[in-house]
Amino acid sequence: MTANTQYDIANDLVDRVAGLAPGTATHTLRHARDKVAVATQGSYEGLFDPALEGISLVERLLVALYASRLTPSPSLAAHYRAELARHTVDAAQLSAVESGQPEEVADERLRAILTFTRTLIENPVEGDKAALQKLPAAGLTTPAVVALAQLIAFLSYQTRLVAGLQALKQLAPQETTA
Amino acid sequence: MSDIIRSHGFTNESLDWEAWLDVVELDKATPEQVAVLEESHPKAKTSDYYLFLVHQPEILRQRSAAFNAIMYAPGGMPRAERELSTTVVSRINGCVYCASVHAQRFEQLAKRNDVIREVFDDPRTAGTTDREKAISQFSIALTEKPGDVRPEQLQALRDVGLTDAEILDLIHSIAIFAWANRLMLNLGEPVFPEAAPAV
Repeated sequence: MTANTQYDIANDLVDRVAGLAPGTATHTLRHARDKVAVATQGSYEGLFDPALEGISLVERLLVALYASRLTPSPSLAAHYRAELARHTVDAAQLSAVESGQPEEVADERLRAILTFTRTLIENPVEGDKAALQKLPAAGLTTPAVVALAQLIAFLSYQTRLVAGLQALKQLAPQETTA
Repeated sequence: MSDIIRSHGFTNESLDWEAWLDVVELDKATPEQVAVLEESHPKAKTSDYYLFLVHQPEILRQRSAAFNAIMYAPGGMPRAERELSTTVVSRINGCVYCASVHAQRFEQLAKRNDVIREVFDDPRTAGTTDREKAISQFSIALTEKPGDVRPEQLQALRDVGLTDAEILDLIHSIAIFAWANRLMLNLGEPVFPEAAPAV
């Protein structure tokens, strides 16, 4: 595991995706709770750490794009799509994530990962013991299952945080007092 | 606790939680895993939840930091209202374990549980004041339809007296429970105490 990199406010992903520019009221407001911003960025970097073992970075980015599409969060989908474009990705797999269904994926392991993603994003109460056990059955180790579950749960957080901040930014005519 | 509430499968009683897959055995944990357990929660070393998540210690460390910064930070939205919001989110997502924990936290902070009973009975109409109603309704909206959130919904929060700093705290509370619920709900299950008479 790599050590924490230093938090750099200029490279904060949520600010960038939500369109919060330094000096604006919403940016200032958000960074009054800077511990949250730092841990949010730290979570993002940890979950997409290339050195994380058990589930590949491309698999994680496919999960992120699929979750952003289902939520939906167009701005986060655009981010994860751009990240995927920096890697070699199977065209059929990308197409299933962009506009198809997990059932269309030939690879059993990725199919299980995306099916689990859909359940947790769309209707988490249906994610029962049998749903979880399909992951080790498809070859994921327990640490890989933990990484995947944390990733999907984090994406559920990140999409709502971005949606809330985007609405707050549009609301805020209090710029004059900032 | 003043009285037990049970409604629609939810309760304010203390529950345990069991993981569905293998947890890290404490005597085999790495120094990093032990350190992350110690900074996550006072009882983490005996909790299935933390012993399962510590399979990925750095991810757990960051998650605990975000959670604690959102739920326990001073100032801003009163902590009882953050707990109300997270109880509503847990009720909507169907996370019985989280709803129980945060119903109890609300009661400890607010010294009452009237609104918790309402949340368990029907979260869509819950709230003993206009402010509580607005908090509950936005908690449901951002949980169920994050793609449809509009500035007008935040204006409704301003209209009942929330400052923008409080609105940010509310957004954080709702969002962090989208995260928390999906761990508690999808990686294990609550264990109920021996049957006791409900009120």
